Amino acid sequence: MSPTIAFWAVIVLLTSGALGVVLSREAMRLTLSFGVFLLGVAASFLYFGLAFLAVAQLFVYVGGVLILVLFALMMVRRGDGDRLVMEVRWDWAAAVTASAVTVLIVTVLAPEFASMVPAPGAADGGAMASVLLGRYLPAFEIAGALLLVAVLAVLVIVGRGDER
Amino acid sequence: MSILVACAFVFGAGLFVVLSRKDVIGVLIGLELMLGGANVLLVTLATVGGQDASTTQSLGLMVLVMAAAEAAVGLALLIAAFKRTGRSQVGEFGEVTG
Repeated sequence: MSPTIAFWAVIVLLTSGALGVVLSREAMRLTLSFGVFLLGVAASFLYFGLAFLAVAQLFVYVGGVLILVLFALMMVRRGDGDRLVMEVRWDWAAAVTASAVTVLIVTVLAPEFASMVPAPGAADGGAMASVLLGRYLPAFEIAGALLLVAVLAVLVIVGRGDER
Repeated sequence: MSILVACAFVFGAGLFVVLSRKDVIGVLIGLELMLGGANVLLVTLATVGGQDASTTQSLGLMVLVMAAAEAAVGLALLIAAFKRTGRSQVGEFGEVTG
């Protein structure tokens, strides 16, 4: 696949997934659109030559968070027949705020991208490990500790709910 | 430039979902959209800025870890709140008590 086609495929995946999340009323369609967006994020990492990050995105998000969302949907939603419908409130203030933020981001960051030529890079696992376990070891350790705290917090929150 | 517009659109779409959805799960998915768009933009900017791929990848991995932790805690809070109160919509949580 040529780099241009791959680049536009990434853009289409990202935007169509996000648009699907905005427009979907049915919970399963919303989750599937979210999955398409997550695949787009992984594809964008792959496009920039960051294969490890793309695989991590697939494993953690598509394989983990998406399944968690599906479990939560099954537990929380009370279905109307076979379809799980979510209520959408078309709020003009929200639409105006979101549009303004989008325009602001594009306006502020456009100069940074003026000279950009999208070119795939390359990174191997060994080089990344030396960066993570060398220069960024404190940040790596803090991220690991944060994950541990998150796991404990989840266990405490859900466990406390059972006691009542 | 196209990827900047796409990421900004994704961030805006996430913000709209956060502000307009009534279900907590919808709000969480909107937050994940915002974080995903920001992460792609961060990685793109690092690549454009001439950072080496290993540093870019490490930075992206950190954001990914934070976002995954946030999603896990958010969903756990939702399930715990639903088990206690039987509610799952943002507007139904009028009071916060221990």
